[in-house]
Amino acid sequence: MYILKNAWISITRNKGRNILIGIIILIIAMAATITLAIKNTASDLIDSYMNAYNKEVTIGFNREGMMKDFNIGENGGRDSVKEKFNNIQTYTISDIESFADSKYVASYYYTYSVNMNGSNIEKAEMEDNLGFGKRGGNLENQSDFTLMGYSSLDAMSEFINGTYTMEDVSDNAWDIAFDGNYVFINSELASYNNLKLNDKITLISTDNKTFEYQIIGIFKENEEDSQEIKMFSGSANTIITNSSNISKIVNDNVKGNLNPTFIVNSYSDVSKLQDEFYDKGLDENYILETNEEVASSSVSSVKNVNSFATTFLVITLIIGGVVLFVINMINIRERKYEIGVLRTIGVSKLKLTMQFVSELMIVAIVALLLGATLGAITSKGVSNSLLASEIKNSDNQSEEINKNFGGHGPGDGKLMMKGRGVPTIQAYSKINAVVDLVVILELLGIGLILVIVSSIASMISIQRFSPLTILKERS
Amino acid sequence: MEKKDILLRVINASYRYSDAEDGEYALKDVSFDFELGKIYAIKGRSGSGKTTLLSLISGLERATEGEIIFDGKNLKDMNLDKYRSQEIGIVFQSYNLLPYMTTSENIILSMDINGDKSKTKKERAIKLMEKVGLKGSYAERKVLRLSGGEQQRVAIARSLSYNPKMIIADEPTGNLDKQTENEILEIFKDLAHKENKCVIIVTHSENVCKMVDKVFDLDKNKSKK
Repeated sequence: MYILKNAWISITRNKGRNILIGIIILIIAMAATITLAIKNTASDLIDSYMNAYNKEVTIGFNREGMMKDFNIGENGGRDSVKEKFNNIQTYTISDIESFADSKYVASYYYTYSVNMNGSNIEKAEMEDNLGFGKRGGNLENQSDFTLMGYSSLDAMSEFINGTYTMEDVSDNAWDIAFDGNYVFINSELASYNNLKLNDKITLISTDNKTFEYQIIGIFKENEEDSQEIKMFSGSANTIITNSSNISKIVNDNVKGNLNPTFIVNSYSDVSKLQDEFYDKGLDENYILETNEEVASSSVSSVKNVNSFATTFLVITLIIGGVVLFVINMINIRERKYEIGVLRTIGVSKLKLTMQFVSELMIVAIVALLLGATLGAITSKGVSNSLLASEIKNSDNQSEEINKNFGGHGPGDGKLMMKGRGVPTIQAYSKINAVVDLVVILELLGIGLILVIVSSIASMISIQRFSPLTILKERS
Repeated sequence: MEKKDILLRVINASYRYSDAEDGEYALKDVSFDFELGKIYAIKGRSGSGKTTLLSLISGLERATEGEIIFDGKNLKDMNLDKYRSQEIGIVFQSYNLLPYMTTSENIILSMDINGDKSKTKKERAIKLMEKVGLKGSYAERKVLRLSGGEQQRVAIARSLSYNPKMIIADEPTGNLDKQTENEILEIFKDLAHKENKCVIIVTHSENVCKMVDKVFDLDKNKSKK
């Protein structure tokens, strides 16, 4: 107990030196708090982004694998590749449902498209005078229209990423869109055929069956392709509906194009999932592809902030540690006489060391708490300004998506979709609570390490000092 | 004197520094006995080993050869920090008080180091001050505001704070005038003769040597009187 009492007496009698030590530790604590807060907030933000990103897995064609067969045998291997290509087994909706029934898959959606011809509407196309012939929206398509079916809102990636935005939409469109003969058409197609909301269109499948649909929304395409001279956008002849409607059209004679997307719990599970898909019958010329690279690149700026904060923290600690070490060395030299007296009257080296460490520890704790408080106040502003653009961006994205769906989408404008870099709103509250218990504990840990490291000088000196020599020198 | 009264035995004690040349000793083959109730002087010229002997008997250093037995226990087997804080009191020529503390705080610190947890430490400190001729009102006074003689009295009071059996003093009157020297020596004599303590004074003062019961001359490495 007398060790603490002595330490306190010593602190109060050496106010100047201890205030100097306190200020140094306070500055270190402030810098450490700010950098720890930024680091933790950035980590939270990265986690938030990565969680907000749907971990998407799509089925892609293994072109690289196929290309390996080229240059082998006659005709440079073309015949064998062609044969292999023609024999690739496609997958059906029931296959997709079977694939999705896996512990690695959280959810799934898909797009399903089929070629159709118009009955009471005409394909949007116009012959130019440049010698290129007629030009429509879908140049390579021999049919008039592509009827694109989405299994759910999540599948409507063009609306989520802003390629399409809804221009005009029925009030109840999103309540009925996935359950009936309803379609969304391109505004160019609507103008070309003088169509409006609630009008009905009739399409003919390639096996000559007719299907009637009611228009519940008109969208426009936002992508500009300045490289090509054309009257209509690429999606002018794309008619959007739900995937159930496509299933009604597709049969042995009418082929549909199925593109599934699986949401997985972790990217690390993808190779196991691929093996599972092969076991369930997926042709081995397909491979699974992820959006991990896109997800990761979108947080690169935050990662940079995080690594900068770490570097700054390490440099601060090294400089702070060296300065404290030097001050302690000077302190010990000044107090040799005191050490000599205390050792002579029976204070053990251990207790003397404890007294010196206690003195520094008391000053450090007070300075750390003050530094943490000041750092907490400062870090809020610093963190917010460093990371605010990221947060604002994410917030805007949520609003933007809602607008793309026509402003009053499902849930009356409360459309909150995960996926494609749409962070959740909780990131805001995390920013405002940057200095939490974890930061305080980290700070105390840092403080403890600093005190011990800078006390090494006093510990070594106390072990080496001969009390009688010190006292004789003094005499 | 009966053997049972011997408190400290120095038996063929020698000390050499770790970097000393072969055969070079700071103290060579010294043997003395110190009894309770007596006051001793250890004298010798500069370099005769007075300070080294003081270091050995006060437990600040360990003898490289020979033995030092205190109250039947070999110092080699004792915790020397505990020995200094509980068994002996040390008084120095330059007092060696902590200047940032008051008179009573210096004395109480010594009690604290001894492990004294009583609540009457301050009262006892004042009594000790009065015992060595200091006014109780000096208790709250910083030691640097006291004269040399007064500081030495505080140092003696501090050394008595845990009632040790032996007091070792290194030139305790070296910085004092003749009158004060005599007063301090009277205190030491009283401690030896009235309180049955063993008092050892390292000195080169002939006046001190005249007032003690026995003188050990390190130059001759033998005792006289």
